[in-house]
Amino acid sequence: MDSDLTLSLFFESWELFADSVLAGTIAGAVLGFLGVYIILRRMVFLSAALSQTAGLGVTLSYWGALQLGLTGIFASPTVGSAAATFGAVLVLSLLGERRGSRDGILGVVFLLGSAGSLIVGTQIVEELQDIQTLLFGTAVAVLPEDFHMVLGVAVVVTVIHLWWGSGFSAVALDAEGSRVRGMPTRVLEIGLLLTVALTISVTTRVLGALPVFGFSVLPAMAAIRLMPNVPRAMVVAAVIGAICGFGGYVLAFLYSLPVGAMQAMLGVAFVIVASGFGAIGSRLAGSRAGKGVEEGEGAPVANAARP
Amino acid sequence: MQSADAEVLKIDGLEVGYGRTAILPPVHLTVRRGEMWAVLGHNGGGKTTLLRTLLGLLPRVGGGIVWASGRRHVGYVPQRSSVDADLPARTIDVVRKGLHQDWSFLNPLGWLGQGATVDRAMRDTRTPPLRSRQFGTLSEGEKQRVLMAQALVSDPPMLILDEPTSAMDLNAERATFELLEELRRDRNLAVMLVSHHLAVVAEYASHVLLVDKDARFLLSGTVEEVAAHPAWQERFGRVFDAGLARRRAVVAGPVSTASVVQEVLLGQ
Repeated sequence: MDSDLTLSLFFESWELFADSVLAGTIAGAVLGFLGVYIILRRMVFLSAALSQTAGLGVTLSYWGALQLGLTGIFASPTVGSAAATFGAVLVLSLLGERRGSRDGILGVVFLLGSAGSLIVGTQIVEELQDIQTLLFGTAVAVLPEDFHMVLGVAVVVTVIHLWWGSGFSAVALDAEGSRVRGMPTRVLEIGLLLTVALTISVTTRVLGALPVFGFSVLPAMAAIRLMPNVPRAMVVAAVIGAICGFGGYVLAFLYSLPVGAMQAMLGVAFVIVASGFGAIGSRLAGSRAGKGVEEGEGAPVANAARP
Repeated sequence: MQSADAEVLKIDGLEVGYGRTAILPPVHLTVRRGEMWAVLGHNGGGKTTLLRTLLGLLPRVGGGIVWASGRRHVGYVPQRSSVDADLPARTIDVVRKGLHQDWSFLNPLGWLGQGATVDRAMRDTRTPPLRSRQFGTLSEGEKQRVLMAQALVSDPPMLILDEPTSAMDLNAERATFELLEELRRDRNLAVMLVSHHLAVVAEYASHVLLVDKDARFLLSGTVEEVAAHPAWQERFGRVFDAGLARRRAVVAGPVSTASVVQEVLLGQ
């Protein structure tokens, strides 16, 4: 650690970092609770594929502006990111219906996004630094307008999920049962995917693909190991995601390391610690059962279903 | 409460299958409250296709399904729970999912505040002690009881169960059928279930629907009507008669241990 970089210096310079830190914190919180759906639906690869596709969209926007002279919304990285991500969701919704084909299509989308970003990126060396930032999340400064965009998306997505979350959760947990009960499962599935895509596209544009993928998987994995049900797991995942967003930035500052990588590593640390607590909780639940504790008495602290 | 024999479901020339190809002859039958229908047939015989069509999970090839309430309001208990054992869900959370029958985009929270119906469904299925347990840690018999509670929580007039006892030993299976019979009687439910266990079904079912995709064969009616049919007698008469004899013995008085039901599985 550089002895000049201290926590007090970080907070003294808060105005300089505020937008970046808060953008990461908010993105971590929103992607944290959305990540629970991603884990529930076993769509971890979806998150990776969408963040890579968002990266391709941004790269294409730069390329279009420099090589083709595009201007306005056609050269907007945010629009490029959103268009590429929603396009990927559309392809997945139309072609990935069959269980067997979804993984394959996700693989194609992932490779198209990551390979495409690299190929297009090498054609525009002027913006190579920005593209590196985008792919690996090394951004230390977030513009105020980008922060406001992240905040706006976070508010919209959170409100949607507070209102229709029970439907999204029912479909994610038991799609067939939900269809039998007459729920609009197809619309709910597409709505869920679109909110995930919107959040990933905007946050990837602002923070980079690596931390976004980390936020959308790791806090949820940790929370699911600790909590007994989906709603509680979502709350805890949002808190862990926010801590990763904030803490990762602080650690990156203190140790002069890449921000996105530190945010992701902090998420990994949460998963490891949560797995340890989960294992202890399972053992305690097992020993309680062995001592003849009445069946069903009390709620287990950790999810006893975890291996 | 609806009258004991109120009509719940009328199936009028229903053809089931895939694409435009029907795999069974057209089905005509009426299900009333208090009836227990057993759907029988060998593996791959078309039972699950018929059930999934009734549940709206597969499109009809032809014919009609008319629900007396004007919409499909049915409790469904799948063969295996689609709730992943590794995911966090307490028993109470799984049961509450059954309240989503009236979920809509305009009223997505209408299912809140229905604790009394949840409590009743859990009480009727003897699952209150499991309330806070993780669903994934329950035994197969316990899971089936929880899924029955989930199916009952919206107070449907009919339960549909797809091989509810397929992963159970004989004792757990008998306990499940007895619980089902109790629920049918107490709630005046119509029940339709798929099972391979002919002899056990013979004890509890009031009606039978036999399907055989390969022979393009379909037979339906009361247990007595079906049991008397020559085609039935030729296929399973001896086994089914044993179950019927046991049912008559239960009605007449105490059952002797000698009348243990033969475990003969269809198509196995």
